[in-house]
Amino acid sequence: MRKINSILALSVCSILFFASCEKEDPKKPVIPNEEEVITTLNLTLTPVGGGTPVEFKFKDLDGDGGNPPEISVGKLDTNTQYTGSLALYNELESPADTISQEVKEEADEHQFFFQSTANGLTVSYDDADGNGKPLGLATTFTTQGASTGTLKITLRHEPMKEAAGVSMGDITNAGGETDIEVTFDVDIE
Amino acid sequence: MWILSKRALLSLTTSIIPGLIFAQQCLWNVTGSVKDMSTGIPISNAHVFVKEASLKDVTDSLGQFTIGPICKGGYHLAISHVGCESQEFFLRISGDTSITVFLDHHGQLLNEVALLDQGEITATQQSHSLHTDHIAQYSDKNLATMLEDISGVRTLKNGSGIAKPVVHGLYGNRLTILNNGIAQGGQQWGADHSPEIDPLLANKITVVKGVGAIEYMGNSLGSVVLVEPKRIRKEPHLHGEGRYFFESNGLGNGLHLALQQSHKLFAWQAVGTLKKSGDKRTADYFLRNTGNEEAHLALQLEKSWSKKWLSRLYFSSFNANFGVLRGSHIGNLTDLKAALERDVPFYTKDKFSDAIGAPYQKVNHHLLKLHTKYSKSDKESLDINYAQQINLRKEFDVRRSGRSDMPAMSLRQVSSFLEAKYRRALAHHWSFKSGVQLNRVDNSNLPETGILPLIPNYLTYEYGAFGIATKSMKKTTIQIGGRYDFEQRKVAAISNDVPRRVIRHDKEYQAISAMAGMRHEFNQTWNMSYNLGFATRNPEVNELYSNGLHQGVSGIEEGDPELLKEVSLKHTWSLKGDIKGKLFFEGLFYYQNIDDYIFINPQDEVRLTIRGAFPVFKYEQTDARLMGFDVTATYQASERMYFKGSYSYLDGYDRKHQMPLVYMPSNHLKGSFNYQIPSLGKFHNVEFQVNSRYVFEQTNLLPSQDFVAPPAGYHLLGLNVSAERQLRKLRLVSFIRMENLGNVAYRDYLNRQRYFADDLGFNLIAGFNLKF
Repeated sequence: MRKINSILALSVCSILFFASCEKEDPKKPVIPNEEEVITTLNLTLTPVGGGTPVEFKFKDLDGDGGNPPEISVGKLDTNTQYTGSLALYNELESPADTISQEVKEEADEHQFFFQSTANGLTVSYDDADGNGKPLGLATTFTTQGASTGTLKITLRHEPMKEAAGVSMGDITNAGGETDIEVTFDVDIE
Repeated sequence: MWILSKRALLSLTTSIIPGLIFAQQCLWNVTGSVKDMSTGIPISNAHVFVKEASLKDVTDSLGQFTIGPICKGGYHLAISHVGCESQEFFLRISGDTSITVFLDHHGQLLNEVALLDQGEITATQQSHSLHTDHIAQYSDKNLATMLEDISGVRTLKNGSGIAKPVVHGLYGNRLTILNNGIAQGGQQWGADHSPEIDPLLANKITVVKGVGAIEYMGNSLGSVVLVEPKRIRKEPHLHGEGRYFFESNGLGNGLHLALQQSHKLFAWQAVGTLKKSGDKRTADYFLRNTGNEEAHLALQLEKSWSKKWLSRLYFSSFNANFGVLRGSHIGNLTDLKAALERDVPFYTKDKFSDAIGAPYQKVNHHLLKLHTKYSKSDKESLDINYAQQINLRKEFDVRRSGRSDMPAMSLRQVSSFLEAKYRRALAHHWSFKSGVQLNRVDNSNLPETGILPLIPNYLTYEYGAFGIATKSMKKTTIQIGGRYDFEQRKVAAISNDVPRRVIRHDKEYQAISAMAGMRHEFNQTWNMSYNLGFATRNPEVNELYSNGLHQGVSGIEEGDPELLKEVSLKHTWSLKGDIKGKLFFEGLFYYQNIDDYIFINPQDEVRLTIRGAFPVFKYEQTDARLMGFDVTATYQASERMYFKGSYSYLDGYDRKHQMPLVYMPSNHLKGSFNYQIPSLGKFHNVEFQVNSRYVFEQTNLLPSQDFVAPPAGYHLLGLNVSAERQLRKLRLVSFIRMENLGNVAYRDYLNRQRYFADDLGFNLIAGFNLKF
């Protein structure tokens, strides 16, 4: 009994000793280098044959969640053809990282889709991946009569470009993960 | 199907006839009887083998057998009966020998635990066990899906390889899983994280459908799962077993080996498992990227320093890669809606593949346990345990620019545990057990992801002390207990807004739990029990501090640092018995109130990001009520034939908002027909089983509580055939099992993959187990 008591006392003491120690802190988290995040999308539409470029911009500096994004839009002219150019940035990095370059390098694994509710606004692809399937960083926008509506730009990662309609710009059968989905108001006058 | 300690098992009476011993004369007989452990009724048709002599006998209607004549020497005996856990032991024969062997025959009828250990959690609380023969025949399953055989236990799944047990509606942080007496560490908070335990390393897996686990640290608000490793038998010779299985669905293979020996100096055991399977298949299509690879190992050393001192060392290592359905990886709510509208998931290929790519989980878990026991006498003992656990979890997602090889989540958890337990038998049938415990958990994110971590780094110290008193009288057992825990938690999180910075939180919690239970035996066969448990659970770090996009559920999840601890009060009533040894009945009713029940509540808000709009979910508290029952009945139609049926009902209710609770298992009904043949040609203990399982639709849910309505109810049929054979020194058990015989296409409410794909189609599993 004495033996068992002394063992018990010893173990209780050692646990109390542990308890009385000054507690260390958890490991300081390493703030990750969030090089994959897309904070900014710029769509620049330059009229074919010259003129002032029109800018559409979506910017969300703190990524998913946090503060709401900043969205700015431009006005389009009727019956005009524009050369569309999309640029993606990660402005968490300094200087900002150009994500569009990554997308371009993996063109076969990416595709942009453009869905418009504005009457007469059409978008066609001007670039392609190694397999001749569209990518969508370079486009042509064509307007007709005056109209208003929205333009939804979606970037899909690993879409099934072979599926019906996908290479024509129809998102229905594309699948894949959405990396970007932003909607701009469009005003054609 | 329970093995008592050798001493209790074998009442050995050796009668040596003096003056008649001639060296190497083979004229001795081994006689004896085989009886049921719980009732003492003789068991007929039990097979008795003396391996070295290749002699055998089958017990008669009085449970008697005679084997002989046999030479003087050491022999291995194997005693088996269809449906019972077989017994094997070593016997030295130097004269006519008479033995009595107890098998647990009734156990098979209700999966009950036949022996109640004083002072243990099972003294008054109802428990159900799966034993090694059962585990061997379901070697293809993981811990959670294996436990589904027990009534009232369901699984929360993410596909087919990843599953965690749900008992009485509680899982994850609310259900403690004890691996060899040590609360399983790791990332138990994740609904898509399975417990990192290889069930094949276990000798016995027990589910205590109870009101709390006073003796153990951890967050149990009721039930406990106990995984006990294989014991080392006191056998001087090298023994072991090898298992192999094949499954048609996923073209899976598994190998399991166990070796053991008891030397004079020490005893050892080594156990290993290898499993690999490829893409699983539903009734109609392959589930791409749902294969898994596993390699597990356990080592045990046991040393008796003296009659009073015993030390044990246990090491186990769990290593697995689990593929996650490719079509379930989505970017935003639009993707989820598109997936919901499809019958067949995106990326489905019409060819089988065993490749595992992103998304997948890579999990490693190592446990080292040192146990020292000092037994002063049968009445007094002291146990000291030290345990160290290392849990590594890496989750890989489909990412851009080759980053799929970089984990999207990488966590390392190191837990250190120390405890001292003292146990003493007191006068007037009382026994007392108490202990002190210390646990340190260091959880950190490894900076290799390039992604803001979902849960922060933290370090906790927990101190606990408990006391349990048990009074075991002839017909009644009473148990009361209480425990106190103090927890200090330091958290270091990264802010969600820019510029990113480290935010620290320090918290302290106290918790008290208590239980009281009573079990009464009316007679040999009927007993009832009542248990009352009060328990608390501190909010977990994910509930307090998670802040950001949870990819798997396409929602932004926000924790609340001000959450309070959950307080639970649970009652269980159970009744068990049989009528004339023909109709066996068992019922368990439970009623649990959990105040400040933490749950994730969808908000009206939708948040806009560059990836589109996401719904916002917040961790909130409410008052919950869980109420339900499990009933099982078995009808022994003849000596060879029995029917078994069980039904489980559960109602989860939010008392504050007067609405259902989400993620509650739906009700289910199980039935089986079993036919047993003691001998069939060269085989013995042949068993046929046809089983049926009906899972009802979860109708207790509002449309606003999920993206889609819960799936319809489903019915699955299965078939199981097993047979044994003694091949001189080898004992062969072979089995063939078929699941989802009708190749039914179905989805289950508790499987998160149900948003994207059907559950598993037909599967044929064949395997064997060789013991030597």
